[in-house]
Amino acid sequence: MREPTFLVLTALAEEPRHGYAVIEDVSAMTGGRVRLRAGTLYAALDRLRSEGLIEVDREEIVQSRLRRYYRLSAAGERSLAAETARLREQAAIADGRLRARRTELGGAPA
Amino acid sequence: MSATQRRLLALYPRDFRRDYEEELLAVLAAEGRPGPGQVFDLVRSALVVRLRRVPVPAGLRQSARVVQLFGALLLLALEGRRVVPLVPGHLDVVAPVDYVRLAGWSLVLVAVAKGWRLLGFTGAAIGLAGEIAAALRWYLDTPAMLLNAYWIIMTAAVVLVAGLLATRAGRPRGLLLVLSAGGLLILVTEIDWLLPYQLSPLLVLGRGDVEMLLSDMPAMSGVAVLMLVAAAGLVLVAAIRQEATVRRWLPAWAAPVLVTVPLIRSGFDGFMEYNSYHPEATRLIGPVQWAALVLVPMAAFLVVAMLSGRYERSRQAKLPRS
Repeated sequence: MREPTFLVLTALAEEPRHGYAVIEDVSAMTGGRVRLRAGTLYAALDRLRSEGLIEVDREEIVQSRLRRYYRLSAAGERSLAAETARLREQAAIADGRLRARRTELGGAPA
Repeated sequence: MSATQRRLLALYPRDFRRDYEEELLAVLAAEGRPGPGQVFDLVRSALVVRLRRVPVPAGLRQSARVVQLFGALLLLALEGRRVVPLVPGHLDVVAPVDYVRLAGWSLVLVAVAKGWRLLGFTGAAIGLAGEIAAALRWYLDTPAMLLNAYWIIMTAAVVLVAGLLATRAGRPRGLLLVLSAGGLLILVTEIDWLLPYQLSPLLVLGRGDVEMLLSDMPAMSGVAVLMLVAAAGLVLVAAIRQEATVRRWLPAWAAPVLVTVPLIRSGFDGFMEYNSYHPEATRLIGPVQWAALVLVPMAAFLVVAMLSGRYERSRQAKLPRS
């Protein structure tokens, strides 16, 4: 799973969100490192919908403009959980190796 | 909303616009005035969305990834031979177009590793343009040079198309085998006469000045022939090692390249013979011949892909339903 997909699913894991709210949440989650652009976001939402990982929660009209909220589906939840477990496993390996490296070098972590 | 944004949204498929245009417009309005970043993002995303809507079998997409990676690796090795430090004397004859080709195929490899489709397309387009430009350098004097290199040009075109359809995930099997084949191709450069361009008349047309080649043959050339055969064997084994669903679609990708051999041998033999006896009045490739050079490989791909698809469907129909 690529990072933008992971981040979009993570944004929707908390609560149903509309497009711009997803962009804002992803930006907040990553400390501003990732700011999704409109084209990227809607191409991702279109794909995730066709793969059944997200679905439309509700639609609202705000200031005469359509605002569609998306939510994580059951399949999306499973996919996000699997990716999270994979990343956690890899992070644990990296963490273990860094600890061993510090021990071998005989120094305390900075 | 600016006219630029409106024009860019027209790049998206109709059903996508129907579903998302209104929301997309609201987000674009929040993003502010369109800058180069936004324009690039909208164009790239429109391409991605359109490609996703092309009905392509999953096996063909997976095999496209194998073809893109292995094809770019082999083309890189083929071009890399000219600039490897093993043969410093060759650097004198390295043309700028060789560096263009090298850069193009290197970009494709980076794109495959990163899963960046647009970079893959850009790299393959640069590589293909380089291959065509290299062959066209002598076209007016010796049109046969283009025909001799046509299988390389077709391989480059196949890598470009495969990149557009390829899945972005998964590492193909047999990567080490193809890397070894690439290494062998680079080493073969030690012997000049065995450059594929010089071998092509022999392989494609079934003739060449064999006596001259044999008399000039350096001591290592026998080893070089073995190296070429070994490289081909390694690529074949790598293809066989792919998963069955991927392997079944590989002949479709190979067809456009393989068909160039009988095409040039049957359709251009007289043309090349005439030119070799009439250097004062060289004939160039005619419009019908150009059309054949483009259409026959395309038809070969479509026919073999159709047969592979039919076989795949019949296999699935025979599988017991769970």
